[in-house]
Amino acid sequence: MSFIKFNKKNYRNFIITFVATFILLIWILPLIWSVFVSLKSEIEVLAYPPNIFFEPVLDNFKAAIFGSLSIISELIDSFIIATITTTLTLILSIPAAYSLARLNLFGKKKIGFYVLATQMIPPMGLVIPYYLILGKFGWLDTYHGMIIVYMTFSLPFAIWLMVSFMEDIPREMEEAAFLDKASRIKTLLYIIIPQVKGGIAVTTIFTFMNSWNEFLFAVQLSGNKVRPVTIAMYNFVSVEQTLWAKLCAAALIAMVPVIIIGLIGNNHIVKGLTLGAVKGGGRK
Amino acid sequence: MISEKSFASYLVAPSIIVLLLTTTFPILYLIWSSFQNINLAMPWMDGFAGLKNYSDMFQDKQFWKSFKLTIIYTLSTVSLQLIIGLGLALMVLRIPKAQWMFRLMAILPIVLAPVVVGLFWRTLMLAPDFGIVDFFTKTIGVGSFAWLSEPKLAVISVIAIHTWQWTPFAFLVLLASLASLPTDLYEAAKIDKASAIKRFFYITLPLIRPAIVIIVIIRSMIALSAYAAIYAATRGGPGTATEILNLFAYRTSFLEVNFGYGSTLAVFILFITITVAAILYSIRKKRI
Repeated sequence: MSFIKFNKKNYRNFIITFVATFILLIWILPLIWSVFVSLKSEIEVLAYPPNIFFEPVLDNFKAAIFGSLSIISELIDSFIIATITTTLTLILSIPAAYSLARLNLFGKKKIGFYVLATQMIPPMGLVIPYYLILGKFGWLDTYHGMIIVYMTFSLPFAIWLMVSFMEDIPREMEEAAFLDKASRIKTLLYIIIPQVKGGIAVTTIFTFMNSWNEFLFAVQLSGNKVRPVTIAMYNFVSVEQTLWAKLCAAALIAMVPVIIIGLIGNNHIVKGLTLGAVKGGGRK
Repeated sequence: MISEKSFASYLVAPSIIVLLLTTTFPILYLIWSSFQNINLAMPWMDGFAGLKNYSDMFQDKQFWKSFKLTIIYTLSTVSLQLIIGLGLALMVLRIPKAQWMFRLMAILPIVLAPVVVGLFWRTLMLAPDFGIVDFFTKTIGVGSFAWLSEPKLAVISVIAIHTWQWTPFAFLVLLASLASLPTDLYEAAKIDKASAIKRFFYITLPLIRPAIVIIVIIRSMIALSAYAAIYAATRGGPGTATEILNLFAYRTSFLEVNFGYGSTLAVFILFITITVAAILYSIRKKRI
């Protein structure tokens, strides 16, 4: 081991590492702390100042899975809604993106702009009419109602994401001037889709995550028969006293799918986020 | 045989039909209801209202307060995300060995549901006699703060919560953008003895401008539609201290069941979002 020379450069690097690590800690602190709290007994939780060393118990997790506070049915509801939304979104967005990105589509610019515009609609602009419209159909608090509403934010986003991926495929892939319908569909299925597997992965991750995490539509347009898991979280604190430890356990269970997807699909997510930005603004 | 043009329309048509039905139609319905009296508490008053909801809105003190708060919230969260994200990206660029860890950990706040983030901050971080922040301020001797129940502090808190969750986004985009910059320009600048500050303002900043503009666009849109984290942390309170337009429109529609006026507020939010988007996109087009 050599002695660290405290010259100017080393000193600067030390400061940089220190500050960056500090910010990193702040990012992960709430999550780490929630793990600690979720493993405490309700009495231990209220100890102040908080103990870092304690005997971990799994009671809260048991309660959140099997007990009276079980969130299993909410997890199933979220899973059903997110999975169907994601599947429908992929089925609709892939052909649309292919058409927008690579084919000689009539009114391409206008259609592209329309899709972009629908993506910008603030959710508050939709939740009010949907409450009135779904109410008239008797579709409030139903799976199909929720899936329709979730399509409003997932479909435009998925189309744009897929368009950016489709644009990256080399042009020679489809020499498609005079083809019949069957071979055109085959081109899409067997030549284009395998080329954009990465893009489909990114789209799947984002669509599933956004549906899983959605709250505003869930809280207002469902809640009794159909209860996505984000609503269950809120109910842990809306009752008289806050069940701190149980809330943490339930929230961690509820967030496990997206955390796992996030960590495994890390590179995909960064790619999805940066796609437009790094290419110098994405689409013109 | 089928021409490329008609095949292309067949492929795009299902999506467009779905979007027309699921987004455009409800928006038209929203605009229609903004000109109506729709109040479930007073159903006998229902009917055409003309511009009444709009004139009510511009005379409503709470509207102006929420509007101002929305502007403060959007401007401060977006600029904080950008400044902290850029600072951190520049720092992490200098510690290449640890970059992977920052990339990985930055994902965590992003993937969490905003409602969970709001709840975690409300309990684990900011709750008096419980949260880490409270513990920290007491330890360093400045005492306890009512982070979520004192109006000014509550505004700061909800801004901090949003910034906490979304700075990683700006960080990741900027880090990727910075990492892709050509190094030869910097070599040349070093030979010309340009100072680090000059290099930053004359080389780095113009090169990452597209990334910055994209971040501002995406983050402004998200900040303007923020709802769940604030709702979970403060429910717009104390009083209406953290009630941005979204929460005000929500309360009006779903708690006071005044859907006509609520729709008008939502139309205004839509209008603001479109205006901001139009301005930002025109800025983006102007790039070199």
